[in-house]
Amino acid sequence: METSVRDEILAKLKAAPKAEVPTRPSLPPYKTLSMDREQLIAEFTARLAEEAVVVHRVKDLQEALDRLTVVAAEEGLKKVMTSTDDVISRLDLASWGRKNGIQVMTPRDFPDRYSYRDAVFDQAQAGITGADFAVAESATIGLIVNKDQARLVSVAPILHIAIVPVDRLVPVYEQAIEKVFGKKGEYPSQFVFITGPSMTGDIQGVLFKGMHGPRKVIVILVG
Amino acid sequence: MKDVSLFIPCTVDLFAPRIGEAVVNILRRVGVNPIYHEEQTCCGQPAMNAGYREEAKKVAKHFISVFEKDEVIVSPAGSCVCMAKDHYPEILEGEPDWLRRAEALAPRLYEFSQYLVDVLKVEDVGASFQGKVTYHESCHILRGLGVSEQPKKLIQAVKGAQLVPLDNADSCCGFGGEFANDFPDISESMVKDKVESFLASGADLLVLNEPGCFLNIGGYLNRNHPGKKVMHLASFLATNGREAQYGN
Amino acid sequence: MEIKTEQFTELAKKELKNERSRLFLKLIPPVMKAKREAGMGSLPDAPAAMACGAAMRAEVLARLPELLEEFEKNAKANGMKVVWARDDKEANEFIKNLAKEKGIKYVTKGKSMVTEETALNELLEKHGIEVWETDLGEFIAQQLHRPPFHIVGPAINVPVEEVRDLFIEKIGLKEPTLDPVQLGYAARLFLRDKFHHVQMGITGVNMAVAETGTIINVENEGNIRFTKSSPPVQVSVMSLEKVIPTMKDALHMIRLLCRNCTGQRLSVYISMDSGPKKKDEVDGPEELYLVIVDNGRSKIYQDAKAREALRCIRCGACLVACPVWRQVGGYAYGWAYSGPMGQILNPMLLGLDRTQELYRASTLCGACKSFCPVGIDHPSLFLYYRAKDVLGDPNFKSIDRPWTERQFFKMWSWAASTPWAWNMGVRMARPIMNKDAQNGVVRKAKGPFGGWFRTRDIPAMAVDTFHDRWKKIKKERG
Repeated sequence: METSVRDEILAKLKAAPKAEVPTRPSLPPYKTLSMDREQLIAEFTARLAEEAVVVHRVKDLQEALDRLTVVAAEEGLKKVMTSTDDVISRLDLASWGRKNGIQVMTPRDFPDRYSYRDAVFDQAQAGITGADFAVAESATIGLIVNKDQARLVSVAPILHIAIVPVDRLVPVYEQAIEKVFGKKGEYPSQFVFITGPSMTGDIQGVLFKGMHGPRKVIVILVG
Repeated sequence: MKDVSLFIPCTVDLFAPRIGEAVVNILRRVGVNPIYHEEQTCCGQPAMNAGYREEAKKVAKHFISVFEKDEVIVSPAGSCVCMAKDHYPEILEGEPDWLRRAEALAPRLYEFSQYLVDVLKVEDVGASFQGKVTYHESCHILRGLGVSEQPKKLIQAVKGAQLVPLDNADSCCGFGGEFANDFPDISESMVKDKVESFLASGADLLVLNEPGCFLNIGGYLNRNHPGKKVMHLASFLATNGREAQYGN
Repeated sequence: MEIKTEQFTELAKKELKNERSRLFLKLIPPVMKAKREAGMGSLPDAPAAMACGAAMRAEVLARLPELLEEFEKNAKANGMKVVWARDDKEANEFIKNLAKEKGIKYVTKGKSMVTEETALNELLEKHGIEVWETDLGEFIAQQLHRPPFHIVGPAINVPVEEVRDLFIEKIGLKEPTLDPVQLGYAARLFLRDKFHHVQMGITGVNMAVAETGTIINVENEGNIRFTKSSPPVQVSVMSLEKVIPTMKDALHMIRLLCRNCTGQRLSVYISMDSGPKKKDEVDGPEELYLVIVDNGRSKIYQDAKAREALRCIRCGACLVACPVWRQVGGYAYGWAYSGPMGQILNPMLLGLDRTQELYRASTLCGACKSFCPVGIDHPSLFLYYRAKDVLGDPNFKSIDRPWTERQFFKMWSWAASTPWAWNMGVRMARPIMNKDAQNGVVRKAKGPFGGWFRTRDIPAMAVDTFHDRWKKIKKERG
């Protein structure tokens, strides 16, 4: 049944007149490809500012934690949901939370997806994640979804705080994609590029942030 | 003196022959000898646009036979040049001999300003005009032929003329041949916007180099703003912006 | 959505009198054009990038069946359930049956043009399944029961007063406000509740990567991410031309799509799904269904020229380029697809008989073609469809032209290739044409040219045409 619909459609397509595959023109390389580390960081930061992303540059993970404390106070955070990815796990946010009177939840604290879903929708005032990639081309963060990086953490809460190690910075998207999709058949269930806060202009063309996803994105750039 | 063959489109021939005379005037001024084959009629666009390709082919073949012995053919109408260059090979694809002849003819066809500036390397034709002028970018000339700087250079070389910008200069004026008559509400709205841009530009005169646009914008101006004038580039240069009447 | 493609001229007339639409159309398209230009300017070589986009999409069409097979193989290996649908009925039935089987009460939807084409929402609603469009513009258009005004901003023309009234009525807006930000926030809260409890989400697909079996969605709001992340069942619907060969190709197309759509280098969220959630993940779909929809495309594909229309990646740039769309807006085109891309696609999907005016309502100005990142030559396709009516093409349901028009062009083309007949014709036509001439112009004429004369004059046909004047010029030179 299913096969015959598929076969019918494909047969029709295969019976059509053949066309040549055109050659593609060569493209000049994107400018970020010729930038050194400092230039890339400057480019990334400038692009982030264009997207109204707040950027904090810190030396190391300890400073990142200190900065996070400041941010949490500024934003009045009492309850947050975090990933358990390799950046976050190096920060020991559980202790940090206890020290600062902030309840730090992670998706796996919950018995099932529905109770986790309730918490990330209704309770988390911020989602805190690391970043697998940062792309200078457009101030984009790349997140690989897996057991330590749940999807809703970076989209449901109204604030998204991303801790981005500077060594994750690449000049163009291709370099992120090559790593993520490098091994045939071993792809993450989801990979997402995030560029700034959620946005729309659907009412009379008036642009505003925070339509469905986060209204604010804060990047703590480490290193 | 070099011979230059004139292709005078039917719109000019019947409704604005003085544009043709202006072309002759300017070409003589810059030292070429305009010749005119009296057997010419039309490029076939009306039939092509209405979907009548067999009929358009007939007219195309006549056009090709009239002009194919000429080294250079110049026309004050960009849309007709595009018809001959782009569409003749397309519709004659099934007839290899005619296709060859069409393709041989194509590179010898020029729009008026293109010929003056790109081929003759002339920008100053000795014209003068005291006042502000603005330029409308006709669709086929701009997007079909890639011609935009050439007419502006010719205008800027006119002694005393000041070229001022036109808002949405590259927006279609709403002519489109049959379109203006088949979709009059939309066409009127388009020409009205074009005229509003003209009026807002502060220019004394609107210059363009496509006869269809001239008839369209000129027709609207004559009815609604009789004091404001539009001129074809050739007329503007040949008469120093003076003979700007619309009617015959 | 009711299909009103036969009513283009009347709908256009109505829209030309709509003050609010006119105001919007005057202000916003130039802004969108400028944004697009700035976005394209951030590429090292915009024309080359567009030429590359054109070559890529041409390649997709040249290799379409093979790429679809490759995509399906890899998608299935990733755990996606791939379903094929020949037409709107099959696509809709599958989704409805799936929803019923799972006891779904409502679905949230990310924007999907192909499901507007198949009228999925209506079918689901008929069977007791609530459908919530979640893209803000689609949500407003859905609640107002209107087609999209612009492919990317479906309700962008709706005045803010109307949105306020709609929200008071439909989503319990408490404070009547005219501030789009506040209204947006009210919609956020309302739809957030839907996302929170949804059990099945339906999305479109911007690109389906054959190399890896991955589907890609491009958005700014986050509603698609919610629709993909929150429920245990995800259904993504793609029209079959959305496939792209490799991930690298997809990146290039995304660069072009975002810049041509809204002028952004990248839309806020680019989410790439290669299968359902893995066992140890806490959110995302347990089951991911991918519905590949034909709905007339395999037929369009048979025509080597018309298939160019299938290159379209739905960026919407041609709409803001088009001087006709900028006069009348999206409603006039009567269906899901408006502007030049609607004028090339609707006739092929619905038949030439239902879309006669759509491919004739063009001055062939070429602005659309000049903006198109995948090199579609819209004017050439309009001319092609017009020729199909004249030549006859039952495959695309062409309609024969009026007998009088046929005779006119027969005669006209004979005269235009027979100089003596042409000149005689001119001499005969002149007195008729100039009957009501005054001061060298004609102000009115009855009959087929009435349209022109409402607001325009035309010069009286010259007593001495250029043909005649040349004889004098020749004589003068001796």
